[in-house]
Amino acid sequence: MIAVDIISDGLFAAVAAMGFGSISDPPMRAFRYIAILAAVGHATRYCLMTFLGVDIATASLIAAFIIGTGSVWFGKKVFCPMTVLYIPALLPMVPGTYAYKTVFSLIMFLQEISSPTQGSEYLQAMIFNGAVSFSVIFMLAVGATLPVFLLRERANSMTRGSRYI
Amino acid sequence: MTQEYVTRIADFIARYLSYMLGAGVHTSRVVRNSKRIGDALGVDVSVHTSQKTATLTVAEKGRPVMNTRVLDIPAFPISFEWNADLSALSWAAYDRKMPLEEIEARFDSLVAKPRMNPVFVLLMASLANASFCRLFGGDIWAMLVTFTATMIGFFTRQHLTRRHVNHYIVFVVSAFVASLCASTALTLGLDSAEIALATSVLYLVPGVPLINGVIDITDGHIQIGISRLVNALMLIVCIAIGMSATLMLVKDSLL
Repeated sequence: MIAVDIISDGLFAAVAAMGFGSISDPPMRAFRYIAILAAVGHATRYCLMTFLGVDIATASLIAAFIIGTGSVWFGKKVFCPMTVLYIPALLPMVPGTYAYKTVFSLIMFLQEISSPTQGSEYLQAMIFNGAVSFSVIFMLAVGATLPVFLLRERANSMTRGSRYI
Repeated sequence: MTQEYVTRIADFIARYLSYMLGAGVHTSRVVRNSKRIGDALGVDVSVHTSQKTATLTVAEKGRPVMNTRVLDIPAFPISFEWNADLSALSWAAYDRKMPLEEIEARFDSLVAKPRMNPVFVLLMASLANASFCRLFGGDIWAMLVTFTATMIGFFTRQHLTRRHVNHYIVFVVSAFVASLCASTALTLGLDSAEIALATSVLYLVPGVPLINGVIDITDGHIQIGISRLVNALMLIVCIAIGMSATLMLVKDSLL
């Protein structure tokens, strides 16, 4: 049952990454690798959070690092820059609900401004959600960029000798 | 090298730079690629970028022949295909020592490639949002509602964008339409209706500018990174406004 959970998590993350990625017009040859990276990354984060009790920011950092390293490997195969592969793969992990709740709590806070108890509850929810969404987005981008700092030469010449232009 | 030739190189690099920045490529890659093309043609390229404009200086190596200009960055839709192809063009120019005419011709044919079929994108985005609903714990019925709501919302977005409506208004209206369609889940009495309602607008979240902004900040391009983050935040505010309009309409059935 646990295996089914992990696999279905990866599968749905792969569909989400391909779909959200297609809005930004990636090359057709990249789709397969975007799906693999997103599935591995999201399943890793799911495992870390569910079974090891890691917090969402650290789990995102580790998952993003795996996605970033994978994109160095795959990018060379299809002559795509790393960002073309890892940004769509990270999109299912962007904390959209937290970001949305941050602004929604702000709107509700303004509506309840005359009631001190409810108003401060919404203000607290705003700071909570804002802190989570900012740190997760920061960790995602930093985790995926780390391989660039470690493998600078290789990471900066991914499209060298491309057959596709 | 004559002044006219340096000016022609600057013309080309200005176009290359503005297309890449406009299509949502992170700054350090754009700067690196432009410098590489400059190296291939025997000139030094220096760039200063901000959100809507860039300053460019092209100078012949070791001689005082140069050209400086400020250029506007047009707002293209984000395109990873341009990112991949134009980066490859810079390497091809560098490795094969292409003349300027050939680089220009290739650039024109690369940016003239058609974009992905909008109907395909519509279908993929709806599928993506439905699977997102599943990741947040929605059941199959919530997924179906999200799929339909996203399809209608995304269709609205595509049509308004084609008519060049202001993009803030596009985001408010599409978020309102998508969440209003998803609120039918409340009427149908689904268990995970709230999940369907919350995920129906997530296809609008500007994930690419958010990640690009942080990449720029870690690369040291802090000003443009913050500009991108603020831009993305404005769009998220628009999503929240559109969705709160729906929530006020259906508030009674939520409580």
